[in-house]
Amino acid sequence: MVLGNRAGHRAPRRSRREGAIDLLFLLPTLLILAGFLLYPLVYGIVLSVHDSRGFEPGRFVGLDHYARAILGDAVFHRSLLNTLLFTGVAVVLQTGLGLFLAVLVADVKRGRTSLQLVFFAPFVLASVAVGAVWKFLYAPFLGVVATVGSALGLETRTFAPLADADTALWAIMVAFLWRFSGFTMVVYLAAIRALPREYYEHAVLEGAGRLQQFRRVTWPLLWPQTFTLVLLTSLGTLRIFDMVWIMTAGGPAHATETVITNVYATAFRFLDVGYAQAMAMVLLVVILLITVVEYRILNRRAETVSS
Amino acid sequence: MTGRPRLRWSAVLLAVLAVGWSYPVAWTLINAIRSTADIYRAPWDVPWPPAVGNLGEAWDRAQLGVALGNSLYVTVLTVALVLALSVTGAYSLTRLRPPRRALLFTLVLAPLIIPMEVLIVPVFSMFRALGLINSLPGLALYNVVGTVSFATVIFTGYFRTIPQDVIDAARVDGAGRVDVLLRIVIPLARPGILAVAVVVAVLTWNDFGGSLVLIQEPDAFTVQLALSQFSTFYATDQGLTFAGMAIAIVPPLLLFVVLQRSFIQGLAAAAVRR
Repeated sequence: MVLGNRAGHRAPRRSRREGAIDLLFLLPTLLILAGFLLYPLVYGIVLSVHDSRGFEPGRFVGLDHYARAILGDAVFHRSLLNTLLFTGVAVVLQTGLGLFLAVLVADVKRGRTSLQLVFFAPFVLASVAVGAVWKFLYAPFLGVVATVGSALGLETRTFAPLADADTALWAIMVAFLWRFSGFTMVVYLAAIRALPREYYEHAVLEGAGRLQQFRRVTWPLLWPQTFTLVLLTSLGTLRIFDMVWIMTAGGPAHATETVITNVYATAFRFLDVGYAQAMAMVLLVVILLITVVEYRILNRRAETVSS
Repeated sequence: MTGRPRLRWSAVLLAVLAVGWSYPVAWTLINAIRSTADIYRAPWDVPWPPAVGNLGEAWDRAQLGVALGNSLYVTVLTVALVLALSVTGAYSLTRLRPPRRALLFTLVLAPLIIPMEVLIVPVFSMFRALGLINSLPGLALYNVVGTVSFATVIFTGYFRTIPQDVIDAARVDGAGRVDVLLRIVIPLARPGILAVAVVVAVLTWNDFGGSLVLIQEPDAFTVQLALSQFSTFYATDQGLTFAGMAIAIVPPLLLFVVLQRSFIQGLAAAAVRR
């Protein structure tokens, strides 16, 4: 790795004792992570293979919970499917919308800062507030969907997107995109503004239109950002809980159930703790798999771009 | 380079998008001073006379004063702990040598793909055994675990840009590690530290999942928990709920407007630096 080589040149040879003292500076972080991340991870595996007595492991049941979740639980299947669907769509739309906004804002001569502020501001608002506000925006009679729709002559006055199993997940998606696209935009915008002008000048000399410039210059050169953003977005949505919990609590009829809302309800409402943790562990495996696959695919592309 | 008509087309589109984007927040702030009856009857009118009483009543009913204090406490403690851990940790990581460093870096990095949500059940069980339920320092600890890896990774990137010669020169002059850290590394990395502090503060202030599980006593409620009460218990009084949301939305927005530059730049740099 680059990291290693550089230091190898620079650092003068140091004694073993020196290295040990340097390590000491990292020790508190490692201890905290060992105690509050590694230990819960191991304890979580233990919980998942036991029936629970309260929140302690009870009778050993082996992989029964996993078999029950993977083979026979329609709600778990639904929650996993929703999580994956939400992640896939959010990755595409949030990246696309963020890039679209960034390209538009990058061309603005005056007022770029204010635009950045407007699009990015929802990012700093809490999910509880965002969820509650959007719940109102979607509310029948008083919400914006109801009032604007009926002002346009549509039958939307009593329409409640969050209460309809066909639309609820996508209604949450819109709120989610509103909250996070500004972040994507900001990352892209910083990168676009750092791109060398010569590339565009060269493209223009070759007669490239704006669309061509985007395809030939902007998009390939922004690949490192796309790489990071795709990973970040999917890591964020695979664990999604709070916005869904606030807006629908997984309903109606599990239409918006995600794995974590399901885990939360199973553990803390139905007190089926071991089973809840087994589902959480399945999600963790899914997260690791997806991250590795994304990393592989995106990284290969990144290498072909840079060569 | 860009033709004039095209620029105008995109400017119009941007203006429309910007208005749409600000609408939810503007609507919340306006409805916060509208009576519940008017929210139904005249949702498009100017809220006059303003129902300022909403704000006071929301504040009292949800004990927002207590909740804001609790959130502030948890956030300050979390940021302080994360900075202390990650600055020293990153300093150590930039000084360690290859075989060991790669291993330790991976260890510190691993939590980035293990979300705390997946571990919430064992964490709850563990916190209960340790007596950390309803404990604000306990909640801070939970937030520290969730953010310390991110902070350490960012700082490792920052510290690597500091020339080793500068550090070596100081060491030759007899400065110890702590001196180097305090006098050279931290001052040079100040913009990065500020940006990470703001990001960690926002993440902690906004955390809902952790406090929902770990805090049960109303006296220990964070702002997010107090707010979530509105949509469950006061759902029929919309004016009040909007007032509560407005109170919760305004402080982070103001903080953001003030710190916008360092926040956005820090975040953008953080996301790109791999």
